[in-house]
Amino acid sequence: MANSKKYWKGLEQLNETPQFLEENSKEFAEEIPVDEFLGDKESLDDTSTTRRDFLKFLGFGVAAASLAACETPITKAIPYLNKPEEIVPGVANYYASTYYDGHDYASILVKTREGRPIFITGNTESTLTKGAVNARINSSVLSLYDNNRLKAPMMGGKNTDWNSLDKAIMKDLAGAKNVRVLTSSIISPSALKAMRELTPVAEQTEEGLAVDMSKIISYDAISYSGMLDANMESFGRQTIPSYNFEKAKIIVSVGADFMGNWLDTQMYIKDYAEARKPDNKWMSKHFQFEANMSLSGTNADVRTPIKPSQYGLVLAVLLNNVGGVGTKSTGDKKLDHQIAEAAKALKASKGESIVISGSNDKATQVIVNAINNQLGNYGKTVDLNKYSKTKQGVDSQVAALVADMEAGKVDMLFINGVDPVFTMGDSFKKALAKVKSTVCFATKMNDTAAACKYVAATNHQLESWSDAEPVKGHFSLGQPTISSLFDTRQAEESMLVWAGVDSSYDDYIKKYWEENIFTQQTKNLFFNDFWNKTLHDGVFDAPTLVVDEMMTFNGNVSKDVAAVSKKSKDTEFEIELNQNMAVGAGAGADNPWLQEMPDPMTKITWENYVTMNPAEMEEKGYNTQFGQREAMQVVNVTVNGKTVEGLPVVPQPGQAKGTVGLALGYGKKVGNQEEISGQNAYPLVASTKSGVSYYGNVTITDVDVADYYVACTQVHQTIMGRDSIIRETTLDVYKKGNKKEYNPAHVLVDHEGGKQVENPLKKYDLWGDQPVEVIGHRWGMSIDLNACTGCSACVTSCNSENNIAVIGKDEVRRARSMHWMRIDRYYASNHQDAGDIAGTLDKTKEAEGVGTTFGYQAMEHPADNPLVVHQPMMCQHCNHAGCETVCPVAATTHSNEGLNMMAYNRCIGTRYCANNCAYKVRRFNWYNYIAYKKFTDFNPSQDDLGRMVLNPDVVVRSRGVMEKCSMCVQRIQEGKLDAKKAGAKVVDGAIQTACSSACPTDAITFGDINDTESAVRAGVDHDRSYRVIEEKGQEPNIYYQTKVRNLKSSKVKSEAHH
Amino acid sequence: MHREAAIREPLVLGDDVTYSKITEDVLHSIEHGPTKMWKILMTIATIVALWGIGSILYLLGTGIGTWGLNNTMGWAWDITNFVWWVGIGHAGTLISAVLLLFRQKWRMAINRPAEAMTIFAVFMAGMFPMIHMGRIWMAYWVLPLPNQFGSLWVNFNSPLLWDVFAISTYLSVSLVFWYIGLIPDFATIRDRAKKPVPKLMYSLLSFGWTGNAKAWQRFEEVSLVLAGLATPLVFSVHSIVSMDFATSIVPGWHSTIFPPYFVAGAVFSGFAMVQTLMLIARKAMRLEYIITVKHIEYMNIVIIVTGGIVGIAYITEFFIGWYTGVQYESYVYMSAGAATGPYAWAFWSLIFCNFINPAFLWFKKIRTNLTATFIIALIINIGMWFERFDIIVTCLSRDYLPSTWRMFFPTWVDLGVYIGTLGLFSVFYLLFLKYFPVLALNEVKTILKSSGERYKNMSDEEFKALHPVLKKDIK
Repeated sequence: MANSKKYWKGLEQLNETPQFLEENSKEFAEEIPVDEFLGDKESLDDTSTTRRDFLKFLGFGVAAASLAACETPITKAIPYLNKPEEIVPGVANYYASTYYDGHDYASILVKTREGRPIFITGNTESTLTKGAVNARINSSVLSLYDNNRLKAPMMGGKNTDWNSLDKAIMKDLAGAKNVRVLTSSIISPSALKAMRELTPVAEQTEEGLAVDMSKIISYDAISYSGMLDANMESFGRQTIPSYNFEKAKIIVSVGADFMGNWLDTQMYIKDYAEARKPDNKWMSKHFQFEANMSLSGTNADVRTPIKPSQYGLVLAVLLNNVGGVGTKSTGDKKLDHQIAEAAKALKASKGESIVISGSNDKATQVIVNAINNQLGNYGKTVDLNKYSKTKQGVDSQVAALVADMEAGKVDMLFINGVDPVFTMGDSFKKALAKVKSTVCFATKMNDTAAACKYVAATNHQLESWSDAEPVKGHFSLGQPTISSLFDTRQAEESMLVWAGVDSSYDDYIKKYWEENIFTQQTKNLFFNDFWNKTLHDGVFDAPTLVVDEMMTFNGNVSKDVAAVSKKSKDTEFEIELNQNMAVGAGAGADNPWLQEMPDPMTKITWENYVTMNPAEMEEKGYNTQFGQREAMQVVNVTVNGKTVEGLPVVPQPGQAKGTVGLALGYGKKVGNQEEISGQNAYPLVASTKSGVSYYGNVTITDVDVADYYVACTQVHQTIMGRDSIIRETTLDVYKKGNKKEYNPAHVLVDHEGGKQVENPLKKYDLWGDQPVEVIGHRWGMSIDLNACTGCSACVTSCNSENNIAVIGKDEVRRARSMHWMRIDRYYASNHQDAGDIAGTLDKTKEAEGVGTTFGYQAMEHPADNPLVVHQPMMCQHCNHAGCETVCPVAATTHSNEGLNMMAYNRCIGTRYCANNCAYKVRRFNWYNYIAYKKFTDFNPSQDDLGRMVLNPDVVVRSRGVMEKCSMCVQRIQEGKLDAKKAGAKVVDGAIQTACSSACPTDAITFGDINDTESAVRAGVDHDRSYRVIEEKGQEPNIYYQTKVRNLKSSKVKSEAHH
Repeated sequence: MHREAAIREPLVLGDDVTYSKITEDVLHSIEHGPTKMWKILMTIATIVALWGIGSILYLLGTGIGTWGLNNTMGWAWDITNFVWWVGIGHAGTLISAVLLLFRQKWRMAINRPAEAMTIFAVFMAGMFPMIHMGRIWMAYWVLPLPNQFGSLWVNFNSPLLWDVFAISTYLSVSLVFWYIGLIPDFATIRDRAKKPVPKLMYSLLSFGWTGNAKAWQRFEEVSLVLAGLATPLVFSVHSIVSMDFATSIVPGWHSTIFPPYFVAGAVFSGFAMVQTLMLIARKAMRLEYIITVKHIEYMNIVIIVTGGIVGIAYITEFFIGWYTGVQYESYVYMSAGAATGPYAWAFWSLIFCNFINPAFLWFKKIRTNLTATFIIALIINIGMWFERFDIIVTCLSRDYLPSTWRMFFPTWVDLGVYIGTLGLFSVFYLLFLKYFPVLALNEVKTILKSSGERYKNMSDEEFKALHPVLKKDIK
């Protein structure tokens, strides 16, 4: 039934009256006076602000405020108009080049991205350095982007342009009668030629260094003049020999840190490591006699602390013991015994040993020559024919130049590659003032440049062409990897201009090579082919240039023995001035990466300090503890009336009693920001007639400075008997081949059937079902503790690759170092018995203390002359990682290739992962390091130029997120993609992490553990292989190899080794 | 022979206590202007709270680096304070829920302020996991929210996530429980309010409570249900907080006794805090006849029991540290901080405050002495802070690799944030004392007892004067 009901609201609606209909059609019953309101202009004007106006104002205000608040960042991207053929955005180019700064030499490989050099690694093509670099060399890329560099040439302290400078200098040059060049040792044949063009002399001979020296004076900041002079006397050759550590079965070093900073470390280190492999037929034995604890000392099998004044005496006694005519006794029975043992070993390895000394005293070096001669090492392990050119400075010649300058005999002086005002101090500055015209080549303002009339702003090495002959018969080339960033010109180029040679320097080098070096080979018919190949390889060997000459030792050692045997004046302390791994002779003083790199021994950053034996510090009432709030005693150090003020004293176990150490090279105040800290210790270098000396008697005066703190990254020194962290053994135990004795597997004691049984850890694995370990790739590392010297090149290499923030001294002191890669250094707390050369290494002694309060307390202190272990430590990429399970947001997870990954974007920063990391390798961004004001002065990422060094493949982390070693995942990815494109499997060794590529001794091997043929797998399966804190069941992918010392275990019966 | 059953001592003391007197006394602070003392305390608390807020803002603006943490110590005062405040927030729910289930009527005098303390303490506690994050603006990622970031989900393996659930559940149940209890009392205030604004406010707060029998019946039922819900939470919250430590591999944290040990410790510290606050409040508000010495003594007994459990836990930890022979663990207990290490001062503070100090409560004379109780409770509060500090900082400072061993030094921001939470807590608590019924007055009325005891002890003359018609002795 249809619904016909109708509801109505009123009678009007029912009846549909016209009035109702009309009204119903309107929305509002009453008329709204819209027209009146809007139409009447007057009334509108009367209301000063209407609702609409108000809204307009409000809208405008909000829009304006928000526009003002968020300024659109303007980023410019400029495309290539013509893309250079070799540059593909996102793909790195590598160029072989040469690094030489007057101190360190290495053939290097420079990685560039989009035309920017960003990473330096060793060139493995080089037969000389074999890919070895140190921290200073791989950090030098940062110096390229140093905002404190000179940006234009200067004249009279003001910026100028090259035209005016050239004119002024050429005018001075024309008027000058006596022109001299003071330069760092010149290993570049082309540069030497260019210098000769600048200062022409009548006669020039190829080998006649002495002839040139009248005009061109070589000066090394760290002098090896004693050696040069000694070789002149002994062999008639003022040169430095090269050493072959690969063949040396016995190495005796008296105060020479040949693994750190002595001579050509890069040329020795790989050979040394090769001879230290315990799996080889023989393993070299290293004796070190020294005052400071040097890097070599920490790696020595037997280290004997002696005073610097005893260096000559010890060598004289050694000479006597190996059959020469020396001194009978040092007067110290224990020391005599040590020397006798070393001598016994040397005599057993005649012709297969090396004896060296770090002393700059000629008499001492003559005795060294006599010993090597006595042992028949010349021509075998010590080679004077293939001599090294990297150190040519002769103190007497430098002194003569200064005297000439003082006397006003020098009209014009060019200074290249050295900073003598900094290193020689006021005496040089005074003499410099008497030279009419002075020209300094410098990349940065420094003390010398500030005192010179003209400053020729030079290119950084990475902007320059160069060639080098570091060792006779071995050449290398250096090529620019970026065009000059500023209005600078490389020194040799300037010399050519001023000498009136109309050639660019690269053409000049080419010409030299075509004339002199091309002729030494027969492989390439055309020079261009030869040139291109050499430039590509970076190196060229010309053995034909080495003249094999029999060297006859004709030194008369008796007067030298008498000289060194004189009893020295007894003082409370003697000083040994050394260089450390970070700063060297001064090259690293202005480099934030190097300043922040912990010293391999003390683990202190950002400054130099006085090292002293802890026992003597306690006697003097100095604080011997490190820590955030442990104030260090500050002292003034006086040598020969010269004082360096305000140095902290830090404890150095192993420092010879009665000696202190101090590193040179720090304190370059001119041309740097204030944060470049430390004190210049060069004034303490004693300058005598016979040459300079880095040893001397010292007076130490306490200074009352409250709250002086050092920034130390490792404040606890000993291993506390924890042998699942560090495993070490002696060669005899290792050679016996019983793995249980030197590298026992972890077991858990359990009860089964009422009996006590020992079960392997795997049995208790909660995660046994996770098969990550056998499928696909499993990236991992094998780190040989026997090969790691602690040099820390890996630390800075990692900085460079992974954009690690520099955080400065104060934050390092607060234990917030951002390094993904660190090297833990442990001192043994039980004594290395100084009287027993057989060297007891009895681990049970240390382990006895475990489990008791007093035992633990005893273990907290390092021994007086401790054995040392360096352990590289980074994320262990545990397969069953503690960090991964505890993150509430799953920001850190495991890849199916065995990597522990970190998703920065996902991290909310609870730091729980860091707490639960047994290795404490996770790093938290406590501040916004790339913007916060506290870091502006030293974090390179805070300035536009410094940012150019950043690796574009690695993200820069922001505040509040956790970061850590990624095992260079960007490189793994790149390597995998390359292999995929090539349609092949990833070749073992094709992928290298930053640390493994930097390691000069190949201690770090990276690769795919699932690849049974890989080098890393061999390391993993090795009998010495173990994992740190393996008993926790975290299954790390980083394996370590037990350290083997060439000592005899006190537990193993000695097999009549005498 | 005449035998008389012993009469339980009344919970509310005093002969002249009437329903009206209870209402008047409890609501006195609400219905009268603030006292001078309240104003002074409020000013101090506000200043301290503002200092704390300032510190927090600086922290959030600059970075976690403003705290004294470092690579070795990812947590220190932040989580110490968190656990400390959560622990304090345990007494309220225990008193209201567990004691309700056990029909312990003496709880009625103290449950309200204890619960208020719980809520505020959990507020303070909850703040620390938030501000300790490096990126607090991403804090919501700990919630399992559906999202468009890809297949991102929270990690249910992480004890920190369990914390999120445990704390939020605990806070919400405690809050509801507390509020339900407040409703009848709000209604009483509403009924008595004369001024329109308070009347409106309390009307809204009391949800239209009528006070009829059905309402009361439902009230009782809901209370019981919530008590049933809240009771497991009392044990779960701190068990889960303890798992932040127990499930990790840090030597000294990795310990199976942590859950019961932490719960006992929490109740221990919670009751100590209740004592501290209550002793002041009852005196200031003249409620000594409702919150009697008996209550204080009962709570002291709870402290003795839980303190005993905590003490046994300490001994067990040491024993296990030695017994297992695990060198990392034995080092923590033998040398790292305990007894001889650099944190020995914290360890001995803990032993004194939590082990020796509560032992005095075994003496009845001491545990019924208000001053002594106050001092002991205060020391326990300090001791429990040290306990958490000891666990977190000492264990972290010296774990596996000796190369990474470091010390922790607090900064002024650490201090500011901690003191600030004390200030903020005080502000909340003072506001509570002023504007909320500090006791469950309607519930207290149910335990107001009258007995013949008073008459029994009267002399005949007195009795006659009071009741001329009745005989005192029926016998």
